Amino acid sequence: MQSDETLRQVLRQWKVDAQLPPRFQEQVWRQIERSEPQVLMPAWVLLWRRATAALARPSLAASYVTLLLLAGLLAGYWQVRITRAQAEDNMGVRYVQLVAPFQNPHR
Amino acid sequence: MKRPTLILVAGLAVAVLAYCGVYYAGTANCCHSAQDGTPELAWLKQEFNLSDAEFKRISEMHEAYLSGCAERCRRIDLKNEELLRHLAATNNITPEIEKALAESALLRADCQKKMLQHFYDVSHTMPPEQGKRYLAWVQKQTIPSDSHSQMHH
Repeated sequence: MQSDETLRQVLRQWKVDAQLPPRFQEQVWRQIERSEPQVLMPAWVLLWRRATAALARPSLAASYVTLLLLAGLLAGYWQVRITRAQAEDNMGVRYVQLVAPFQNPHR
Repeated sequence: MKRPTLILVAGLAVAVLAYCGVYYAGTANCCHSAQDGTPELAWLKQEFNLSDAEFKRISEMHEAYLSGCAERCRRIDLKNEELLRHLAATNNITPEIEKALAESALLRADCQKKMLQHFYDVSHTMPPEQGKRYLAWVQKQTIPSDSHSQMHH
C-alpha cells in the first residue's frame, strides 16, 4: 500500500518533454485502418471499378472507343465475307438444280 | 450515369453499330439479287463476268431451255406412271415393261443431251475463258464422276 502511494506521487510529478512526431494522429488512424480486416469483393466488381477508373482518363477512353470501333468493323467485314461465300455457293447449287433436272433426287 | 460508365456503354454501342453497318452495306447487293426473279442468273452474270448483252442472250436461252425442260420432265413423269402401272399388274418382266423402260431411258437420254447442248450454247455465248470455266464447272456439277464398279466392292 505504501509503495502504491509512492508510485502515484511519482507519476503525478512526471512530465513528458518529448515532442510527438509530425502527423502522428493521421498515422495512428492509418494503422488502425490497416489493421481492420479487408472486405472481399467479387472479381467482377473489382474489374468494373478498375475499368471505370481507367476510363476516367481521356486518352484511355479514346483508345477504348477506337479499339471497339475497329473490332466492330473487322467483325462485320469478316461476317460479310462468310455470308457472301455461302450465298454464292447456294446460288451455284440452285442454278445447277434449275438446269439439270436429274440433280433433283425426287425425279 | 457516371462518365466512365457512359464511355464503356458508348464503346460497346459503337462496336455493334460498326458491325451492323458493315454487314448490311456488304450484304445489301447480295440480298437484292436474291430477291430478283432469277437470282441464279444474276449470280451467273456476276460469277462469270458477263456483259449486259451476253447476260440478255443467256437469259433468253435459259428461258427457252427451261420451257422445253418442263415439257420433257412431264413426258418422263407420264412414262414413269405407265411403268408403275405395268409393274403393279405383274411380277415378271413383260414386253410392256421392257418397252416402258426403254422409252423412259430414251427420254432421260434426250433430256441429258438437251441439257449438255444448253451448257455448250451458254458457254459459247460467254467470253472464251469464262465459257471454258463455266463448262468445266457445270459438267463437274452435273455429270457424275464416281465409278460404278466400286459399288460392287
